[in-house]
Amino acid sequence: MSADADLTGPRRGARALLALYGVVVLAALYLPLLAVGFASVSKGRYLSFPIRRYAFDWYGEALASDTVREIALTSLKVALIVTILSVFIGFFGALAFARYQWQGRRAFQKLALLPIFFPQAVLGLALLMWFNALGILPSWKTAVVAHLVWISPVTTLIIAIRAYSFDPALEEAARDMGCSTWRTLREVTVPLLAPGMVSAGLFAFLLSWGNFPLSLFTLGVDATLPKWLYARMVSGYTPLVPTVGMLSVGFSAGLLALGLAALGLRGLARRKAGQARQDI
Amino acid sequence: MGGAEHRLGLLAAAPLALVLGLGFLAPLAIVAAFSTMPERVFDLGHAPDFSGYAEMIRQGYWRSLLRSLAMALTATLILMVLCWPLAWAMARIWRRFTLVITIAVVLSLFVSENIRLFGWVLVLMKGGLIDGYLRHWFGVGVDGLLYNPPVIVAGLVYVYFPFMLFPMAQGIAMAPEDARAAAMDLGASRWTVLREIDLPLAAPGIMVGALLCFVLSAGAIAEAKLLGGRSVISIGDDVETAFTYAQNWPLGSALAVSLIAVLGGLVAIGLARVDLDRIMGRR
Amino acid sequence: MADGAAAKAWPVPAPDAARAPILEVAGLLKRFGDFTALHSVDLKVREGEFLTIVGPSGSGKTTLIRLLAGLEAPTDGAILLRGARIERRPANQRPTCMVFQSLALFPHRSVAENIAFPLKIRGVSRAARRARALELLDLLRLPQSYADKRIQDCSGGERQRVALARALAFDPEILFFDEPLSALDYRLRKTLEMELKDLHQRTGKTFVYITHSLEEAMVMSDRIAIMRAGRFEQIGAADEIYARPVSRFVAEFMGEVNLFTLEGRAGGLDAGPLQIADGVSARLGLAAGRRATMMIRPEGVAVLGPGETAEIMLEGRFHDTYVLGSRIQQRIDLDDGRFATVETLREGRIDAAPGAPVRLGWPLARTHIIAEG
Repeated sequence: MSADADLTGPRRGARALLALYGVVVLAALYLPLLAVGFASVSKGRYLSFPIRRYAFDWYGEALASDTVREIALTSLKVALIVTILSVFIGFFGALAFARYQWQGRRAFQKLALLPIFFPQAVLGLALLMWFNALGILPSWKTAVVAHLVWISPVTTLIIAIRAYSFDPALEEAARDMGCSTWRTLREVTVPLLAPGMVSAGLFAFLLSWGNFPLSLFTLGVDATLPKWLYARMVSGYTPLVPTVGMLSVGFSAGLLALGLAALGLRGLARRKAGQARQDI
Repeated sequence: MGGAEHRLGLLAAAPLALVLGLGFLAPLAIVAAFSTMPERVFDLGHAPDFSGYAEMIRQGYWRSLLRSLAMALTATLILMVLCWPLAWAMARIWRRFTLVITIAVVLSLFVSENIRLFGWVLVLMKGGLIDGYLRHWFGVGVDGLLYNPPVIVAGLVYVYFPFMLFPMAQGIAMAPEDARAAAMDLGASRWTVLREIDLPLAAPGIMVGALLCFVLSAGAIAEAKLLGGRSVISIGDDVETAFTYAQNWPLGSALAVSLIAVLGGLVAIGLARVDLDRIMGRR
Repeated sequence: MADGAAAKAWPVPAPDAARAPILEVAGLLKRFGDFTALHSVDLKVREGEFLTIVGPSGSGKTTLIRLLAGLEAPTDGAILLRGARIERRPANQRPTCMVFQSLALFPHRSVAENIAFPLKIRGVSRAARRARALELLDLLRLPQSYADKRIQDCSGGERQRVALARALAFDPEILFFDEPLSALDYRLRKTLEMELKDLHQRTGKTFVYITHSLEEAMVMSDRIAIMRAGRFEQIGAADEIYARPVSRFVAEFMGEVNLFTLEGRAGGLDAGPLQIADGVSARLGLAAGRRATMMIRPEGVAVLGPGETAEIMLEGRFHDTYVLGSRIQQRIDLDDGRFATVETLREGRIDAAPGAPVRLGWPLARTHIIAEG
């Protein structure tokens, strides 16, 4: 339906303004990243715009730096573990959230949402005190726990959204044909929720990789990229900051692209297989 | 299948419940406990004397709390106005553009907020993107864009934008399309429809978005630190200082508990009547 | 105001074909990209009549009603209300009201607030609004106590009535109905059909109704317009269309029917399995090479006893009986693989075994000839 023909929606002029507004918002959203990008290719030691001389020197230095490599590895380590664990927890959590009718479900739903409705910095500090009180030294391991506390509800929600459109009749049919609970889970539930699990995993990794408030307080002496960047921002600024920042963002973007491509290819393969079957 | 599902539900809920119990509820309980302890102690084996709260009032930390809440409220209100047209268009008008915006906004969430805020520092600082280019083109620059309360609020608006946009768009999408058409057919002008139909029906989504933004920005520290310098100390910052440099756990706990009490109360009231199943699309 | 039982007396003008139509559609065209939903249709709606537009899904009736109500603008053509062009006027500027398929009641408002909404936005005082809402509850036969009830607590039938009350609140000139009864169960639908017809007579307003159910249309309407693929096939009273359809589509749409192709030949008439008496063929007067369709309704077909004849006769084998309640339909297989349907009342049914030979016959007067263009 062309914009002109709908007499109940906004008029032509209003629509154009709205579109413009959307574009402006997107531009404002990414402007800071643009600035960081520019800064990362500036040659000089002290940053000021407009950039006089451009060079990729800092990228070279960043990639060669042992410190940066070590910190990146820590980030990776934490993110991978968090991803695997949170998807596992989220899978079952989603089933409890959306699929099974059990007595504590409503209370469980509210509990699962609490960490999302909670300021991360305060959570991080509370966890810091908690670990200290327990006598546990903060390190990348405690950061994993901290990330889990926040990210597991997120993965639960993502998979739950998929679980909501799940037809319970499918599981019932499997059971009717003789599957045990575990078998049903493996053969029916997991494949059906798999796309949700993949999205959740992608989300979990990226959220953990880029997490700042929790990492800041619960890493102890270890460091992830965001924590290191922050430390350098407040004191001891080096031109490596924008560079490493862009590298970190680049890694996220690359991973996301890979993830989407994988999902896209999977969908494509499915469709092709479906067509092939139809041709028979 | 009642009993079996009940057991399955409990079993499935166990992992998350365990993580949250040990990693969320327990730490908060400990914090609450510590808030009652005498000054500067590091264990719970003392008689409660609530000195942390006393100090909070004596030293004027409550001002810090109020300031943070005020900035959070301002940011939330600004966000409600800023996001509404966009959320409305995303839910009612656009199709492909909605997808584009959704992806673009979600992507920005994956970039850690300190990098994004740092980018704003680069944009707003003396010699930054704005000041530098203005000087370069026109010979005059702008200074003082950073290190003041308004820019902190702007930072909060920026960082928590997605947290208002998506719940709001979802709330608008949930309102029945027909109701608008019917209202217009009955003679209502566009403004009347907005006031009488759109806003009330999108209220659950708006509520969720507003709560989320308020709660998250009240406890935020990065914006105040990176953009605000020392102009405003957020309550989160005070808690951090108490826990780390000042080594005063009871004080920090008292501050944290005060913040959580306010936020918790709001969340409890706000979410009490929201039906989660309906919002998430249960058939 | 009036006591509870007597509804407000509305002036009730009888539908008068001689007066100018209240609503006129001229050359209305609606395209969605490549797809043409309405092919330059024309229609005249008489004041005070109950006109139903019937058609299968995809026929364009929903598009038409939305254009009439003012929810969309046409690609071309005109809509005139009492002579004034309104096709570009949005819905809120037309003195018409639509009852939506989903009813579109405001879930966040009570029954009375829903009904009084059109008055509220016209600046009517709270007391007057309330009084009018109660009046309308009466008219729609809902108890006064429903005024403050929540919409969610109302049953399907009750919601229908609330939607109707709301549509009548500001006294619109024309009411449009977009298949409001299609989601209801049989019993409720039947009740509401009667009530709608009754409401129409009591209020005297013009009702334009769309549905895919022929039955609904026949029960309630003064005139029926059959729509197919964006065009009107036939417009007229139910009786008229039933007995004299202008095309095979309309004939079949109006119910079970027996259709036989006739083709004019040089030496006479090719009537397929039908045996037509000579004189009758001449009366049909079909020129060579021209085709026509002979239509005979199942209730017009008679079973011939041994030795009996009729102007048009048909032989076949008994197949089966279908009980429709008060009527019985019986199927007779013909040699060429098709079948004919005979309809009788319970007492008049054919008593034969499957496969037994049956002779059917009817006079020309009971048939209707549809010319092929």
